[in-house]
Amino acid sequence: MQRRFRATGGSVEVDLTGDEKSFLAGLLEVLAGLPRTGDDPATRRLRVPVYLDDPESNDEWWRLMGEELTAARNADRQVFQRALGEGPCHLSQEEANAFLRVLNEGRLALGAKFGLDVEEDHDRLPEEQRDIMDYLGWLLEDLTRELSRTL
Amino acid sequence: MIVDSAYDQGLVTTHPTPVIDPHVGEEQDIDRPWQVIVWNDPVNTMSYVVYVFRKLFGYDESKATELMLQVHHEGRAVVSDGPREKAEVDCFRLHGHGLWATMEH
Repeated sequence: MQRRFRATGGSVEVDLTGDEKSFLAGLLEVLAGLPRTGDDPATRRLRVPVYLDDPESNDEWWRLMGEELTAARNADRQVFQRALGEGPCHLSQEEANAFLRVLNEGRLALGAKFGLDVEEDHDRLPEEQRDIMDYLGWLLEDLTRELSRTL
Repeated sequence: MIVDSAYDQGLVTTHPTPVIDPHVGEEQDIDRPWQVIVWNDPVNTMSYVVYVFRKLFGYDESKATELMLQVHHEGRAVVSDGPREKAEVDCFRLHGHGLWATMEH
């Protein structure tokens, strides 16, 4: 498959098809629609505990840091959404990192919703879900490879 | 740009306030560093985890790969340590990149 990301100089060129942009816009909607707290598996995955044996400190960490994390994730998603506009676009390295984080966040959320608890679960997924995870993984690998060249 | 430097520098748009326990006063608590642990999960890719370790902590590719493989094979790896405030911010940066990080003392 043709690469979708290419690091050139200080920026990353993004060249997604219209269908890919539509799909990724849907991924953003999934993330935006997640409840902030509760038993949704994707929400739980994105709010895993920081203190395993200290619920009080964990609650305090999420109370103080959780809002900052949400704000940072929302800022990343705005970059992601802008990159889904018409035609190819160029992202700065920092914007490309934001794009990468949203790709990964979306993949984590869908993986949780699909019930991916252990690595072997991947092969047990229905074909459509496996294809989605594989596609997002492919995009993630492509962008990770390009950004790794910039370190 | 704020978006990425928030994680790279351990700072966020409005600086996070670490959860410092005001009751920590025993000498052993001060001397003993907190450890930040990354746990294995079935979704994050190996190359992504290596990239995050390199980017956030400045590890070279060999060290980052070693840590990633430790996470993959042993289920967890200590990726950084230090005072509680630093550990909490490191957890913030790792969670911001989708890795499950916890801290232990």
